[in-house]
Formats: sequence, C-alpha cells, structure tokens
Amino acid sequence: MSFSIDTQTLEELNLLGKFRQGSVYSLFNQVRTRGGEQLLDSMFRTPLDNAPAINERSGIFQFFQQAKLDFPFDVQEVSLMREYLDTGAGDNALMTLAGTVIKKILSGLTRDERYKKNVQGLQATIVTLNKCYSFVERVQSPMGPYAARIEAVRKLLSDHRLERLRNIDIYKALPVQTLAFYDHVLKGRLQEEMEGILSFIYELDVNIAVSDVARSKGWTYAYALPPEKNILMAKGLYHPGIKGGVGNAISLHRDSNVLFLTGANMAGKSTWMKSVGIGMYLAHMGFPVAAANMDFSVREGLYSSINVADNISLGYSHFYAEVVRVKQAALAAASGKRLLLMFDELFKGTNVKDAYDGTLAVTEAFSEYRGCLFIVSTHIIEVGAALKSHPNIHCVYMPTVMDGVHPRYTYKLEEGITADRQGMMIIQNEGILELIGE
Amino acid sequence: MVLHTDEQTIDDLGIFGQRNGSGIYDLYNRTHTRGGEAVLKELFLHPLSDKAAINRRSSIIEYFAHLKMAFPFPADVIDMTEKYLRDPGERTKHSRHQSTLGEKEIQHGVLAVIALIQHSREFIETKAVKGIAAYAQEREAISLLIADPAFEPALREKGKGKLSYSAIAAYDTLFRVRERPKLEQLLGQIYYLDVYLSVAKVAVDMKLIFPKALEKEGCVLQLEGVYHPELKNPVSNTLLMAPGQHVIFLTGANMAGKSTFLRSVSTAVYVAHMGFPVAATSMEFSVMDGIYTTINLPDNLGIGASHFYAEVLRVKKVAAELNRGLSLFILFDELFRGTNVKDAHEATVAITNAFAGKKTSIFIISSHIVEAGVQLQQRGNIGFYYLPTRMNGHQPEYTYTLKQGITDDRHGMIIIRNEGILDILKNGQKIS
Repeated sequence: MSFSIDTQTLEELNLLGKFRQGSVYSLFNQVRTRGGEQLLDSMFRTPLDNAPAINERSGIFQFFQQAKLDFPFDVQEVSLMREYLDTGAGDNALMTLAGTVIKKILSGLTRDERYKKNVQGLQATIVTLNKCYSFVERVQSPMGPYAARIEAVRKLLSDHRLERLRNIDIYKALPVQTLAFYDHVLKGRLQEEMEGILSFIYELDVNIAVSDVARSKGWTYAYALPPEKNILMAKGLYHPGIKGGVGNAISLHRDSNVLFLTGANMAGKSTWMKSVGIGMYLAHMGFPVAAANMDFSVREGLYSSINVADNISLGYSHFYAEVVRVKQAALAAASGKRLLLMFDELFKGTNVKDAYDGTLAVTEAFSEYRGCLFIVSTHIIEVGAALKSHPNIHCVYMPTVMDGVHPRYTYKLEEGITADRQGMMIIQNEGILELIGE
Repeated sequence: MVLHTDEQTIDDLGIFGQRNGSGIYDLYNRTHTRGGEAVLKELFLHPLSDKAAINRRSSIIEYFAHLKMAFPFPADVIDMTEKYLRDPGERTKHSRHQSTLGEKEIQHGVLAVIALIQHSREFIETKAVKGIAAYAQEREAISLLIADPAFEPALREKGKGKLSYSAIAAYDTLFRVRERPKLEQLLGQIYYLDVYLSVAKVAVDMKLIFPKALEKEGCVLQLEGVYHPELKNPVSNTLLMAPGQHVIFLTGANMAGKSTFLRSVSTAVYVAHMGFPVAATSMEFSVMDGIYTTINLPDNLGIGASHFYAEVLRVKKVAAELNRGLSLFILFDELFRGTNVKDAHEATVAITNAFAGKKTSIFIISSHIVEAGVQLQQRGNIGFYYLPTRMNGHQPEYTYTLKQGITDDRHGMIIIRNEGILDILKNGQKIS
C-alpha cells in the first residue's frame, strides 16, 4: 500500500521539481549535502502511508526544531569521505598494501594524484568521524524520538577500530601501512558501518534543514490519525508558497465529507484548494505544514483537477479531458480507497447549463462516499442551492467586497453560498451598455 | 483605408498558424519569392476597407485565375537580383559598409537584372496581360519603369552572351547606383504580381469564389455555401443577413459545430475584405470598417484576471469601437461563459439588445442560454439559427447544417453518462 498521487496532481500542486519556480520542494531544499538532497527527494517522492510512521517522523522534526542544532559537519569533508569510500579497494589486505605502495611510488615519480586523494579521503573520514562522535556525545541527554537512532550510531562509533582511527593525529605523517590498513578495513569489513554513519549524517542534514524552514516560517506539524476516522481539521491553513498568506480553517469528517466552495473567479478558490492539497501532501510526509494546527486521517491517495489547461480551442476535447479525469477519480473512489479529491471549476470546458447538470450529478454521487473527502468548487452558484438538502455537504465561499466600483477580495472563507452577483455589476461599472447605446 | 481589427481576431481565425498546424495565410501562400511572401503577410495583416480597392484587387486575381498563368520569372533570377541589390555597391564606398560581393557575383547580378528587365517586358507585352483592365495601373507602372532610356541597353542585350569586363562595370554602376530606386520599385511590382498569381492559383485549385463588395453601411452579408477552407470534408452553410436582420443569435450543443461555423463565416468576411477569393459558392457583402471576433478568449489566470472579466473587457472594447460610429462585423462565441447562469442570462440579453440598436453593424452571437434567446425573440431584427443534434440511441450525431430557430440540445450529461461515471460511483465500494 502506498500513497497514490499522479503526475497531474503533482504538477497542479507544484510539489516536486528542484528548479521549478515556487515548487514546494524548492521551499524545503535547504540541505547542504548531496546525500541529504537525495534523501529529501525520496521523501518527497514517497509520502508515508501510516499514522505511526508519520507521527514518528514529524516528532523527529519537532525535536530538531526545538533543539535548534547546527549542522556540525563540513560539507566538503563529507563529500570527500563519500568519494573515498566509493573508490573500491582490493578484498585482500596484502593486495591493498601493495597497491598503496605502488601509488605512493608513482606519486613521487609522476603526477599521479591517487595517493594524495587517498590520504585526503582518510583524513576527511577521521575528521568527520570525530565530529560525529562529539555530536553524539553532546546530545547525550534524553533525545525523545531520536534517542534510539543516536544510540545506534554511538554503538557504531564505539567499534575499537574506528576508535583507533579517530585518535590518529591527521597533522602527522601517515605511515603507508596505516593507510593501507584502513583502506582495506573501512571499505571491506566496516563497509556497512560506514554506510550507516553516512546515512546518519544525511538524515541529520535533512532534519536540520526542514526544521529550520519550519522554525523560520512558523509552521507547525500535523497530527496523523488512523484512516478510519476520516477527519481533516486545520486552522489557519495557507499556501506555503505565498508569503503572509491568509489562513483559513477547514473541518471535514465522516458526516461532512464534501466541501462545496463558491465565489467569484478571482476570489481565491483555486489557491485555497491548492493550500489544502499541499498541506495534506506535506502532512503525509511528516513535514511541517503552513497552518496554525492540523489533524488529519491518513489517506490512500490524492486526486486533484485544478489547472486543467484552459485550451478552449480544443472545445469538446477539453470537456472530454475533464470527464476522463473525473472518471479516473470515480474509479479510484469506487475501488474502496480513502482519498482526498479536489475538483476546481468542474466542467468549466463546457457551457453553463451542462456544467450545472454535471457538477450537480457528480457531486451528489461522490458525496455518498463517506470514506473519502471532497472539495468541489464552481462559479455556478445555482448548484449550491440544489445541494442544500444533503447534510454532509458543507458550503463555504470566498467573498468579494465591492469597494465602490472595484471588487476587493478578502480571501477569508465564509459559511454558505456566495450571493455575489457581480456579473451585471461589472458590466454596469464598465459602462458598456451606455457605450453601445449612444 | 484599412480594416480595423486586432490580434484577438487574427488569433481566433487562425490567420497565421500557431505552433501546431498551418493558418489561413499558409493556405493562400504559394508565392515563389520571399518578397512576395512578405507582401502577402502584409496584406493579411491589413485587410482593406474600401469598396473600389477590394473589387479592383479581387478582379485582378480573378483574371489571373482565369488565365491560369504561371509566375513568369525564373526563381534564380529573382534570388540573384535580390542578393545583388541588397549589397550597397559603390555609392557607399567611403562609408563603413564595404561591398561584400566578389567579381563573379557582380557579374551574375548584372546578368540577373538584365534578365529581370527583359522578362518584365515580355510579361507586360503579353496579350492576355494587356487585356486585364483592372491590372492596367500596375502594367502601366511596370512599363514606365522599364521604358526609362537608362535601361535601353539592357533591353537590347541578347541571349547569354558574355559581357566584357567594362560592360559589366558600366551596368553595375547603372543598376546599383544610378537606377537602384527604379529597380526596387520594379521588384516591388513583381512581388505583388507573385501574390496575385499565387492566390489565383489557390483559387483555381481550391475552387474558391470571388466575392462582390457592396457599399458601406448596407449591412448586407449574403453568404451561400460557406465552409472552412482548412477542413477536408466540410459541410457548407448559407447565411443571409440584411438590414432587417443584422443580428444572429446562434444556439447548439457543444460539438454541433458552432465554433467551426462561426470561424468559416468570419474567415470569409475577413478574407473577402482583402479582395481575396473565399471558400463559398457565392458571397456579397457590405464593406465594413472593422471586424472583431471573440472565439477563444484566453483568461489570463496568471495575472489573476478571471475569464468573466476578460469577456467584459472584450465587450467593452467592441462597445467603444461601436461608439465611434463605425460599422463593424462583430462575433462572440459563447458570450459570458465565465459566470453563473443568472448573470450570463441577464448580461446576454442586455448586451444583445444593445447591439440590436446599432443598425449599421453586423453581429453574430452564440450562446447556450436558450432562455435568453426566447426573451430576445420579441425584437424584430434578430435572426435565430441553431446547429442541430440528432440522437442516435445514446450516441449524438451532428449534421453541421444550419437551421432556423432555437435549440436547447445539450450533451454534456450524455457524455458523462456514456462514460459511466455515475454508474461507477453508484456501484462502487462505499466504506465509511
């Protein structure tokens, strides 16, 4: 079982992408090491799918957020160490020794860099191990959710060979014999241990980077609940990509599993949907969310249909693409999964009347799925009136305030269905009828 | 006088092809020269708004179409001449622009210009060309250009005989320095000729007809058998608009072909204003001051403007043009689709009624709001048409043939049902 999300949703929420402007990934990508970046990448690509794991990870982030630790390692040295460990050595101690001797002789005779690289690599390893050791010692105090991890690393470091290695003074000449010995041991018998230490360093990198972001932005951690509860509650939830975004509350549960969102086009409907989607995705990764607080039941997937490219020239096929998208979502819901589904401006590729019929029928049909959560938005307010009889459909709207002639948007959700009818108002304000009439 | 139009219209009609597929311009473009291509593009960007000019150009092309004449200049002559004349020559010897042509190229250039002049004479002396009354003005201009005594020796030059070095030097000074402006004018005439001949060829190949332009403000648009020139197996339609019925209210289902019909009509009107042949069986139209269509209005969500607001601004722009007292051809596809049903209804009625008061302009408005149509029926000068849908069991079928009246055919729900979405949801596994 894994959290299912498709490319369209990932694109619409702009989640991944290192070089994409304003992507959620780029917000968090403040890691220092290559390995840390890879780890962050894989976290983004595979959200967690059970509540204990989510809460454990978010607990770790919270711990780091409070501990305010600095990343204790030198990035250059970590990458040198990585490189050193990756250059293979012979399985046989004697062969390794012979190889090292040859490299040393070659370095004296020609411009062979390998011997120097070897020495530098080992030195970097010694320094990094020492830093790791002192870090582990320093945070010896009860570490909460991270205690077990620290203990494991301490155990790794206490290996007598590593202890001896740590005590080598790097500012003294390294005998060829020692060099060859560690070359052999670190890449052979202690390979797993060294991998463990490196991945600890990468984790540390990610944990510190993510918790730093959360601290500087004042974000909080969502609490995961078992899927059966079917709850999504948040206060002050906003889009993490918007500085000083306006927060809104959301409360969905078994008996109110559909959020019906109305409002004028510029009022912020799509942004609100994206905020919810991104919030849910980050929450499933155990990452901090842009909200005052948030509780959620673990979902099995996320489907959205927000920015269906508005290619009207395709006419029918655009409408058809929307229909196909809804069908995918319907199939996923009908397979008994617990999902979060979001549809922005459902069926906007067609005429108002068809959109009315389609939105009404589809929303009613989806609302029967009490195990799923839905957010549906439309500018066709007439649908809301027809849906009022369903107690599990919760109507909210994004209001528009008229400042004299100019509409202003508060981005603050309000209960009910919008009564905004600026359509004619805008036409009158623009003085079009008078223009033609004269 | 030039027809008023804007980028939105040019985009809507697909005059110039976008990344995918070719545009109307490409359909008509069979020019042989780069200069001709540029002239054609210029003509497409600036259609005419003058009855005499339109009819004159149209009759020139019609004659050429009749003659089935091929472009009388060999491609290499034109190419060489262009290259040769682009070079500054001796006039600017002392400036920074150095002549970049070698001896050999100058020699080819001189020979090409001589050939060009001789071909030009041959062309205007052709009996058929002399017979084209509408082309007389251009023919006269060409003949005046080459009758200049300076070109006398060039006309006398015979065959491909080698020219002496001194002769080439003399011709070079003549062509590139003394008579350069005349040669450029001559090339300009040839580019136009290229356009006329290429369009004439298109007219013959595609069996296009030549529309007749009528006086301004007559509000006449008689289009018979009009279709979209880009379609392979088009269905043609007939649309008759007259002063008593200068507004058309069009209804029909999503795929019934409304947009295609609107595109074929507006393309015909646009192209007719260029004096070019159109895809129809017959066409007469009052010359307009401008043409504004709104078929694919982009809603710039990036800058936060809503689709509805974009529509309102578009209507406002058109209203401002109408307010200047111009007689326009105006077309709106799916007016006010970006708002709720009620607003769309009220706005459609209000705007259409206001348009109906502008008696010197032609309006075509398509809408899904059937109720708005019913309300508008009280007004006399609005014509109602629809594109029908026949239900063949559960599969809708489209005839693409225009009918009079209003229809409330809608098939969005049928498509949703056909995809079985509601059934999937009905029979799905509901967990709680």
